[in-house]
Order: sequence, then C-alpha cells, then structure tokens
Amino acid sequence: MHLFPVITIGGIQFDLSSLIAITVSALITLVLSMVAVRRLSVDNPTKIQNFLEWVAEFVHNTIASTMPMNKVKSFMTLGMTLIMFIFISNLLGLPFGIVTETHQVNETLGITQADLDKHHGEAHIAWWKSPTADLSVTAGLALIVFVLVNFLGLKMNTKGYLKSYFQPFWFFFPLKVIEEIAKPLTLALRLYANIFAGEVLIATILMLGVVGTPFLIAWQGFSLFVGAIQAFLFTILTMVYISHAIVSHDEEHEHH
Amino acid sequence: MALYWTSTVYAIVAFVILYLLLNKFAFGPLFSIMEKRRQLVLEQMSMAETARKQASAQMEEQKQALQEARKEAYEIIEKARATSSKQADDIVQTAKNEANRLKEEAVRDIESEKDKAIASLRGQVAGMSVMIASKIIEKQIDEKSQEQLVDQYLKEVGSK
Repeated sequence: MHLFPVITIGGIQFDLSSLIAITVSALITLVLSMVAVRRLSVDNPTKIQNFLEWVAEFVHNTIASTMPMNKVKSFMTLGMTLIMFIFISNLLGLPFGIVTETHQVNETLGITQADLDKHHGEAHIAWWKSPTADLSVTAGLALIVFVLVNFLGLKMNTKGYLKSYFQPFWFFFPLKVIEEIAKPLTLALRLYANIFAGEVLIATILMLGVVGTPFLIAWQGFSLFVGAIQAFLFTILTMVYISHAIVSHDEEHEHH
Repeated sequence: MALYWTSTVYAIVAFVILYLLLNKFAFGPLFSIMEKRRQLVLEQMSMAETARKQASAQMEEQKQALQEARKEAYEIIEKARATSSKQADDIVQTAKNEANRLKEEAVRDIESEKDKAIASLRGQVAGMSVMIASKIIEKQIDEKSQEQLVDQYLKEVGSK
C-alpha cells in the first residue's frame, strides 16, 4: 500500500496528504458556491444558480423529512455545507492520484528504514486522496455532529433531552450512553470505510494495467454513486440525530 | 492506518470556516433570493387572480352597457315611429279642417250672395210693381185700394 507523507513539527505529526485534500475540497466547495451565487437573480437565474437551487431544494426536502417544518430553516446551511463538502471530498480521490517514489530514508516525510525494508527498498508516497478516505478526517466531521447534536439538545430542549436518557426506564441510561457514542462512531466509520474501500479497489485495478480499463471505468462510475449516497446518508443522519435531540417526544406526538 | 489528530482538528477547523464563509457569502444570499422568488410567485399569482376578476367584472359591465344601448336604440326607434304617425295624423287633420273651413266659407258666401240677390230682386220687383201698378191703376182706383193691392202683391213676391 502507499505511504502517506507525514511530517513532524515540534513533536506533532501532520499528514500532509490529508491536509492538502481537506484544503482542496473546501476550496472547491467554496469556489463552486461563490461562482453559483455570483450573479444572483430572482427572475433570470444562471444555469449554475439553478443547479445550486436544486441542491438547496433537495437538502430542504431531506431535512423536512426528519423534523418539523418550522425548524428546517436553521439547519439549511449546515445541510448544504455537509452534503456539498462530503460529496466533493468523496470524488476528490477518483479521477487521478499523485504518487512519488523514493528509495531513500526521508525523515521529514516520515519515511523510515523499516518502511523501505518492508517494500523492497522503495516507497510510494501518495500525495493525493479523498479526505474522507482518512478516518482522522471523518472522525473530525463526526465530532462536529456529536458536539452539535448534544449542544443543540441541551440548549433547545434541555428537559426533554436529559429525560430521554432515562426513558422508558431509568436503567436504560447505560444503553443510551452507548447509543450516543455509537452515533458519531458509525458516522465516521461508515463514510471512511466506503470511500477508502473505493480508493483501495481503484489502486488494485490500476495494478491490472490496460486490461483493467473497463473495470476502472465501471468502478469509478460506481464510486461516484457511492460518494453521492454517502454524502446524502451523512447529511440525513446528522439531521435525524439533531431532530431527535431537539424535538421532545411529547411534542412529536402532538405533531402526529 | 494511523490516526493523526492534527488531521481531525484541521478537518474541524476547515469545516467550520467553510460553513461560516458559505453562510455569509453563498447560501445566505441564495436562500434570500429563493425566498424573494417565492414571494414574487405568490404576488404574481394573486395579481393574476385580481386581473381575472377585473376582466370578468368589466365583461359584465360591457354586457350591461350593450344591453342598455340596445334598449335605448329600440326606444328611439319607437319614439320616432310614434312621432311620425302623430305628425301624419296631424297633417291629415289639418287638411280636413282646412277643407271643412273652406267648404263652410263657400256655403256662407253662397248664402249671403243669395240673400243679397233676393234682397235686390225684391227691391227691384217692388219698384217695378209700383211703377206698373201706378201706370195701370192711375185712373181707375183710389188711393186706399191701391195700397192694399201693393201689399198683397209684395206678400206674394216675398213668400216665393
């Protein structure tokens, strides 16, 4: 497998490929959105504005399916940012890779003699990947969701939120705690595993050489699909968790 | 697969910054534009509804105006017809009256001419009679019988 360039500054390790990937994904998301809203118009929208509005409609419907209509508006930007950033992140590693080869021990990039020995005297360093193919990154996203869910639950629905830990009986408390921890854990692992598996398979197919081209095309198409599904899943699960935390069950019954 | 907490922190920071930037510069304006469009559509729909109502009200008005105009035209024709027939009657009546008047005048003229003729005839006859009688009777009868005779003669003439 490829190694990742890891530099150590003041005893702290930085995975350069992740940092590059996150930066690029965020920049693409930002530039795309900014271009889309450059010439905003009520009655004569540009094509890309139409596209962004379609995304907004889609996210709106997604959020509206999880929580009461009057709460949807406050989470629109979160939903849009999540789905666009994760989708672009998922696609980032698909079209190409940047791999450098080294035969020397390079301490600044974290290449040790042990690594070289393991890979027959040469090391491939991958500079380019999907940021979401890195568990550290998906963990970051999941952590945001975890903090946000609990913060919103405490702030907007204090009593109902705290009570939900002891329902239907007080001894459910440990189970509820495990559930709360499992939520971000599964979020992070699901996203990471899907995208990482896709990239591993692409790397594997590349080893087939020319014969692998049809497989590569098929798998890249499928990865596109998986990337979209995972971005959608992450967004809707986030909204479900938020909805669960801020809408108390009594209130929910009133709505139905 | 190693975990690097720096990547985690960087991901969180990058996402938060991305969220803030997008909220301020991209999605905020986009959502407000979408809201504006929603308002515009609502407004235009209500405007279309009022326009439709106005149009139908005007249609009704036009219909009424047409009805009124038709009624008025009918009335005018009726009035003209009545006036014309009345004028015709008047003309005929006037003509009749004129004719009657002329006839009566003629009758009266004839009457008076006749009376005049009779009167003048009577005067002449009386004179002639007196002349004749005086010529005949000059020598034969006296004054008294002569008078008697004239009166009788005159009576006979007047009654004719």
